Amino acid sequence: MKKNRTVIIACLLSGTLFYACHKAETNPSGIDFPTLEQEVVNDFVSNVALPQYNNLTLAAGGLNAAIVTLNTTPTDVNLAAAQASWKTLRRTWEQCEGFLFGPVEDNDYDPNTDTWPTDYTQMDSLLASSNTLEPTDIQNLPQSLRGYHPIEYTIFGVGGSRTAASLTAREKKYMVSLASDVLNNNVQPLYDDWASAPVHYDNQVLTAGKGSTKFNTRQELYLAIVGAMTDISEEVGNGKMFEPFTAKDSTITESPYSGNTLSDFKDNIVGLQNVYLGLNGGKGIKDLVAAKNKSLDNQIQAQITSAISSFSNITLRYEQAIYDQRTQVQQTMTQLNTLRDLLDDELKNFITTYIKD
Amino acid sequence: MCHKAEIFPETGYDERLSGGAATVFDATSHAFTNAVDGLSARDERVHEIGDQTFEQIFVAPPATVFPGLGPVFNNISCINCHRNDGGGLPTAGFSNSGLLMRISLSGTDEFGGPLAVPGFGGQIQDHAVLGAQPEANVRIVYTDVPISYADGTIVHLRKPEYSLVNPYIALPGSYLLSPRLAPPLIGMGLLEKIPERTVVSFIDAGDKNQDGISGKANFIHNPFTNATELGRFGLKANTPSLLVQIATAYQQDMGVTSYVQTKESADGQAQMSTVHGDAQPELVDSILNDVNFYVRTLAVPARRNISDANVQQGATVFSQINCSGCHRPNMQTGIDQTLPQVSNQRIHPYTDLLVHDMGDGLADNRPDYLANGREWRTQPLWGVGLLEKTTGTAYYLHDGRARTLEEAVLWHDGEAAKARQQFLQLSKGDRENLLSFLKSL
Repeated sequence: MKKNRTVIIACLLSGTLFYACHKAETNPSGIDFPTLEQEVVNDFVSNVALPQYNNLTLAAGGLNAAIVTLNTTPTDVNLAAAQASWKTLRRTWEQCEGFLFGPVEDNDYDPNTDTWPTDYTQMDSLLASSNTLEPTDIQNLPQSLRGYHPIEYTIFGVGGSRTAASLTAREKKYMVSLASDVLNNNVQPLYDDWASAPVHYDNQVLTAGKGSTKFNTRQELYLAIVGAMTDISEEVGNGKMFEPFTAKDSTITESPYSGNTLSDFKDNIVGLQNVYLGLNGGKGIKDLVAAKNKSLDNQIQAQITSAISSFSNITLRYEQAIYDQRTQVQQTMTQLNTLRDLLDDELKNFITTYIKD
Repeated sequence: MCHKAEIFPETGYDERLSGGAATVFDATSHAFTNAVDGLSARDERVHEIGDQTFEQIFVAPPATVFPGLGPVFNNISCINCHRNDGGGLPTAGFSNSGLLMRISLSGTDEFGGPLAVPGFGGQIQDHAVLGAQPEANVRIVYTDVPISYADGTIVHLRKPEYSLVNPYIALPGSYLLSPRLAPPLIGMGLLEKIPERTVVSFIDAGDKNQDGISGKANFIHNPFTNATELGRFGLKANTPSLLVQIATAYQQDMGVTSYVQTKESADGQAQMSTVHGDAQPELVDSILNDVNFYVRTLAVPARRNISDANVQQGATVFSQINCSGCHRPNMQTGIDQTLPQVSNQRIHPYTDLLVHDMGDGLADNRPDYLANGREWRTQPLWGVGLLEKTTGTAYYLHDGRARTLEEAVLWHDGEAAKARQQFLQLSKGDRENLLSFLKSL
């Protein structure tokens, strides 16, 4: 390992293009490192990003169908089915937030669908107005009146108190168009931006450092991936969990109507874990790290696991836990901050040290 | 015996550190979102609260959480226009639009500033809460303008025309419009600390050195201190401080009042009656201060590829054709004992904070204090090479008409006419080198 490091320093000193310099040495798994770098990228695209976004379109399709059924046959059974579909969609979405870069931020699919808190006052005005509430109308509304959370508000109600019989005609129209807006104007285009022309973001990632117009080097891509992992651990531990906790205010949690907030948090970290470990039998960043620094890999894997499992110590809804299980909430936030520091310092440092092309 | 401390020689600095100690090494899409290094735990917390508020959407009153939006507004959060703390998209009327229109009548107000239009104020808010109407919608039409280089290469610029449609009440017979695209926020805390005497020293009234560049400082009315002060921020340098800039953006762009801007943007207008029930000011004092601290402590991304030969040649061309006459590379911030990261720093902002005549093509023909209808403030260029990442799709100049850095250079005229002429005469290789240099910033 020492020797390899010297090779890299020699490349640096030569001041020329790094990939002109051969790193013939192999790691313990027998694959040379640049090849491994590319394999991890390939597997990130084909085993994590594309399938996860495809799952998202399926989940959004499922919610859409359930909401249409609830609209035509408003029974409590169908309401429960729509609520379950909503939670499935949220699980997939929150896991996709483990790699929040590219079209999802460039084309605003994130704020278009996942903006909170919902604007009740405006929503009441909207429902009372003459707005036709077609999907095209929804598309032009402020983001606080679009996406997952207005749907949540409509099908769960405050404190989860919604009954099918209480849905008004206008509310039903609104939820049908909201679900359609999520699927057709956001989730499907997000997948298409990755998988097909004209954006074909998958190719931009796959060709990082080899002609990609988004990533001039592979190191740039890896820093974006690790940056997204760091950001989500920061956002959950220091934002989404910390703010309601420190303000002791349950109205500013992420999914207050469905009580899904804690799952949202945990699924974000599971999404991060998917990127690190890889999915569906593919390679992940762990393979890169393990090839050079097994101890760091062990440390990161252990910290991710420890952060995820700490959520199960919080047994109440998050809206309640910020008052009654403060020790457990604090412990999870500490775990997440440790994870963030590990990613931001050690893993980022690993990337800039070893990925030089 | 007493030696006066001297500034380091030029070679003693690392030229990648565009913001001095307030520089960060990050070239991802989040490159503009980093706090300066070395904040205390308390200051980090203040920065964090400011960050969250910056991203926070505001909702119509009455509401328990972040009320105060409207009745008319341009967007519902800061981040919706300043994408990833960077620039905006040059569209109007969408949830991700970052372009707004200033409006005024000819003449000046009691402080020498633009004369507000009754019923519309000084800015068109093209969104409204339900029950109210947008003041007007903005229509943008682009026409093609071909430009030829000496070597025969042709570049197509797009020239925008702006008009207002669907006004909620009749517009006056004649009025002046000026488009403004949300700019990136990096390094604002450093720009605030450039000594006034430094900025004023850049003025070359009457163009004594005959390089075609004169420059003018914009002195404006500070509505908070009620004094005449040097304008530093805003695309026409019409704002004296970050505090006023931020408070005015909350007020004008979102309809959110604060202790600095106490009146609603729609104050005195008929549509004020459509919102009610929230306490004034709508933004808690400490929250405004937190956002101010947040913006002051956003770090500048470090330069990249500085040892690349093309980039180095581009830097030479940049000064040879005198882009650096306005986009000044080096200056020193003043002392700020409360924030060492921005205090006494050698920085490379590539601006002089002066307003310059930029020619007919870019003119808005709307005076703003001392800046006339052809003058715009020199835009800082630090971070400009990362805009593609932070925005998703980058747009340049005061209204985002330029889709590439090359187009942005070609729009320059007026005091920059000489530089532009020389750029047109450059070989393709040197043109590309110049652009590579800009991308390294």
